[in-house]
Amino acid sequence: MNALARAVPLPPARTRRVSSWLRSPWRKPRILLGITVLYIAWSLLPVLIAVLFSFNAGKSRTVWQGFSTRWYYGDPLRSVWHDPTLHSAVVHTLWLGVLATVVTIPLGVTMALGLDRWRGRIPAGANAFVLISFVLPEILLAVALLFVATVLVTPLHLGTVGQVVGLVTYQLSYPVVIVRSRLLTIGKQYEEAAIDLGASPSGAVNRVLLRMLLPAIFASTVLVFADVIDDFVIVRYLSGGSSTEPVSVKIYNTARAAPTPALNALATVLLASSLLVVLVGFLAYRRFTRGERRSIDMFAGEG
Amino acid sequence: MPPAAGDPFRPRRARPGPVRRRAFLKALLAAGAAPALADLLAACGSTGSSGGADAAAGTAPKIPSPSNPVRWPLSTTHPAIKSGLKVKRGSTLRIYNYADYLGPQVIKNFEKKYDVNVNLSTFNDEDEALSKIASGGLGLDLYFPSYDSIGKLVGADLVRPLNHDYIPNISHVWPQFHNPWYDQGWRYTVPYSVYTTGIGWRADMVKEDVGARSNPYDVFWDPQYADNLAVLDDWHTAMSMVLLRNGIKNINSTSPRAIKLLHDQLMAMLHKTHPKVTITMYNDLPAGQYGLTQMWSGDVVNAQYYLPKGTSPDVLRYWFPEDGRGMVDNDLMVVLAQGQNPVAAHLFLNYMLDPKVAAANFGYIGYQPPQNSINPDELVADGYLPKTLKSAAVLPHYFDVGYRLLQLPPAADQAWHQVWQEFKAGA
Amino acid sequence: MPDRSGRTRAPTGQRLLWPLMALPGTVWLTVLFIAPMYVVLAVLFGGVDPILRQPVPVWNPVQWDFSQFDYVLTHIAGADGFFGPALLRTAVYVLVASALCLLVAYPVAYYTARFAGPYRGLLLTLLIAPFWISYMMRMLAWVNLLQNDGLVNRVASLGGLLDVHVNWLAGHPVTVVLGLVYGYVPYMVLPLFAGLDRIPAAVQEAARDLGAGRFETFRRVTWPMSRQAVVVSMLVTTLPMLGDYYTNDMLSASPQTSMVGNLINNSVLTPGQTGQAGAFVMLVLVVSIVPMLLYVRASRTGVEVES
Repeated sequence: MNALARAVPLPPARTRRVSSWLRSPWRKPRILLGITVLYIAWSLLPVLIAVLFSFNAGKSRTVWQGFSTRWYYGDPLRSVWHDPTLHSAVVHTLWLGVLATVVTIPLGVTMALGLDRWRGRIPAGANAFVLISFVLPEILLAVALLFVATVLVTPLHLGTVGQVVGLVTYQLSYPVVIVRSRLLTIGKQYEEAAIDLGASPSGAVNRVLLRMLLPAIFASTVLVFADVIDDFVIVRYLSGGSSTEPVSVKIYNTARAAPTPALNALATVLLASSLLVVLVGFLAYRRFTRGERRSIDMFAGEG
Repeated sequence: MPPAAGDPFRPRRARPGPVRRRAFLKALLAAGAAPALADLLAACGSTGSSGGADAAAGTAPKIPSPSNPVRWPLSTTHPAIKSGLKVKRGSTLRIYNYADYLGPQVIKNFEKKYDVNVNLSTFNDEDEALSKIASGGLGLDLYFPSYDSIGKLVGADLVRPLNHDYIPNISHVWPQFHNPWYDQGWRYTVPYSVYTTGIGWRADMVKEDVGARSNPYDVFWDPQYADNLAVLDDWHTAMSMVLLRNGIKNINSTSPRAIKLLHDQLMAMLHKTHPKVTITMYNDLPAGQYGLTQMWSGDVVNAQYYLPKGTSPDVLRYWFPEDGRGMVDNDLMVVLAQGQNPVAAHLFLNYMLDPKVAAANFGYIGYQPPQNSINPDELVADGYLPKTLKSAAVLPHYFDVGYRLLQLPPAADQAWHQVWQEFKAGA
Repeated sequence: MPDRSGRTRAPTGQRLLWPLMALPGTVWLTVLFIAPMYVVLAVLFGGVDPILRQPVPVWNPVQWDFSQFDYVLTHIAGADGFFGPALLRTAVYVLVASALCLLVAYPVAYYTARFAGPYRGLLLTLLIAPFWISYMMRMLAWVNLLQNDGLVNRVASLGGLLDVHVNWLAGHPVTVVLGLVYGYVPYMVLPLFAGLDRIPAAVQEAARDLGAGRFETFRRVTWPMSRQAVVVSMLVTTLPMLGDYYTNDMLSASPQTSMVGNLINNSVLTPGQTGQAGAFVMLVLVVSIVPMLLYVRASRTGVEVES
């Protein structure tokens, strides 16, 4: 409340200026609206154009040569469907998404619960570290794990194992942060009531807390999955060979070489699967949280 | 430098294990020891010693050159495969190569012919490739190195000797590759492609005839082409061009003077013309991203297929010294020891040396195979090259007079790399 | 948040339960995040093998060899300081890009939080959309647009009226910075939105009722109340940008726009220079620690205010 107290005292009313439209506090914020619309166009149009060119009938990615699905299926050599390297990139990307999510979510949710209720130095430190890993430049972790994989004999090899381990480590902060902020809004009373009514501590967690956390768990699942399939730095450094190169790495490698619209098609396939997951997730999430405001913010991972 | 007792980490290379030591001993035998030892010690001194044990047990591998042909020792840990083996149907062949350096249809046909799945991974430069191969565990079967890495690959025991019974098609290859200086008796390698390194440009973007200059290499320092040119993202190739510009024919120089010159002129280039540093000229030049570039002959040939619709291939130009006194190279194919499918790897080598396959692959990648059936003088007539790119043909006699990129001794290698690093940091 | 459970001592089972639950994740982070940082040190202060010049880690700090680290440090400033410009460039690019991000994101987040009305859900969905689109695809889209015959030049030349041939991808700092802004601005919009949304509309209305103009209201009420969110969102975008090398690679590929991420990426797989990659990793880590602690503090207080 401090910030508010500091902010409220105002200069004496300056009624003379109110006449000017520009200074009217109640006018429609047209400029802001303009900026917002421009921003959305700027952020999404390039991608839409890239998607459009994945349907180009010719080889160009800058000149429209008619509509076709050749880069998805038609081209017997270089379409996403027929080129084994593109094909396997899509499969591997989704596979990484599933594996990393399946490990990250349980690990993160239990960690969030534990850190939230356990008081002391260790949990405080672990918590600060989680927050830090949220913003740490990804390349630092990627290089460190690359060294582990290349100079040490451990089960952490370049390839799927290394990629999943790296992704889980990097993504772990998402469920922890999201679930913790949800825990803060829930408070402790429900669980205490359950214990008062005779439930064991772990029973209270299972029956009461986890149920109430479901929306947050769900949101973090979708978020982690979508973020994993878009990841680039970790999966590139820890990839083993072409069979473990996901879509983002293919795009990076090929965009600097000689891309065809098949690359746009590849990216579009990934985009579509990403949006599908999010859409399904969002609809389900809405069912969980009917009647709660701020659902979208939470979903954005910043609640 | 032994790890502390009870160290939870088990370092792989902290000191040579039995296998390592054998590799070192082999390298020692190959090299006749003493002279290279000094280089090695110098390298250790400047990068931080990797331990007295290493220095005592091993030495840098021998460096082959046309005047100093090398016959590599046969690996004992990874012997050649037996004759007459059949490839396992449905097995996977893992190939490690540059991007766009192997025709997709060629791969498809091989898969069909032998019922094998080909898995192609790509790298950006040989440094990256060697590091990843050395890390092991990738299980790669085939690698496409340049001959300057052979010493390292054999020295670190990463390659498998070839069984010649599987590769009768070697007979289709230019005679000088039947017993090459970099691998006498082709124990580990077969040739893949031949190419020159020259200058490519677009006649519609660069008004002068670069090749007509008294010193064509000067264009990279000519401010009128600032922001309009590129050099190869390959440290040795790009830097050798600086030496050639100055009339230094030893493009593998270890002299501090030459290295100083490299440094100064590279930095001058950076500030005068702001070159891009990339290996995708075959795409960028036809796309018009820049008009002038250091270029491999194979890439300029390939570039004609990447031109936008309506642009004639005639705009592409390529200069390489007519007398052949420029950089000439050939790339190789080797079977990696870590691969799980050496039989398929041998079959693939033989397949790539088949005249028909080699020609088809040439059509896709633009890099000429050293095949007897492909007449370099008639590449234009045969439709491989437009008339304006006649200079991109690689003639056999280039290999008698041209300059070769050789493996550098470790200390010099490091000095060159440092200059390159500085260049790439954009100071 | 006041701890209401203070009235009763938790039973022993419960006291053990929480540490047990926190354990797996904490161990995971320790083993796979903190321990690997030690491996980086062991490589940085280790040696190289003589044939392939691959790194040989040295685990015992007593035997550490500081020559590679020294090499990097001595080449940052001074006559031989060729790393210096790249580091400086990183700082400038990142700061300019972050400032531009804020300039774009703040009004957008503010509008969405305050004035979107019935379109709020739609707007928010559109703002979040870039999150679900792969970063690489968004960069690829720009590569297409910025090519010489790409849409940007064609639109700029008004369909052939003017002769516009800007070579956007030829290594211009402007292209790289705009690429960074484009890439990272969505990460800034959302925390800003969350922060601005938390400011009760009544406070702003009260300010206006008391006669403050738009600008005055913003300067005296909105901005001070959103400062926390601004700090958090700046850090959330700035810190990850520090490690970026791919934006640069995709949109420029010129040494003259190299950033520290490129230095790391160039040396990490170069024989004999792997340790230097380690040195830069440590450098970035050290530089970002202060802002990180700042961020941890800011997001903690943020969470507390929220509850």
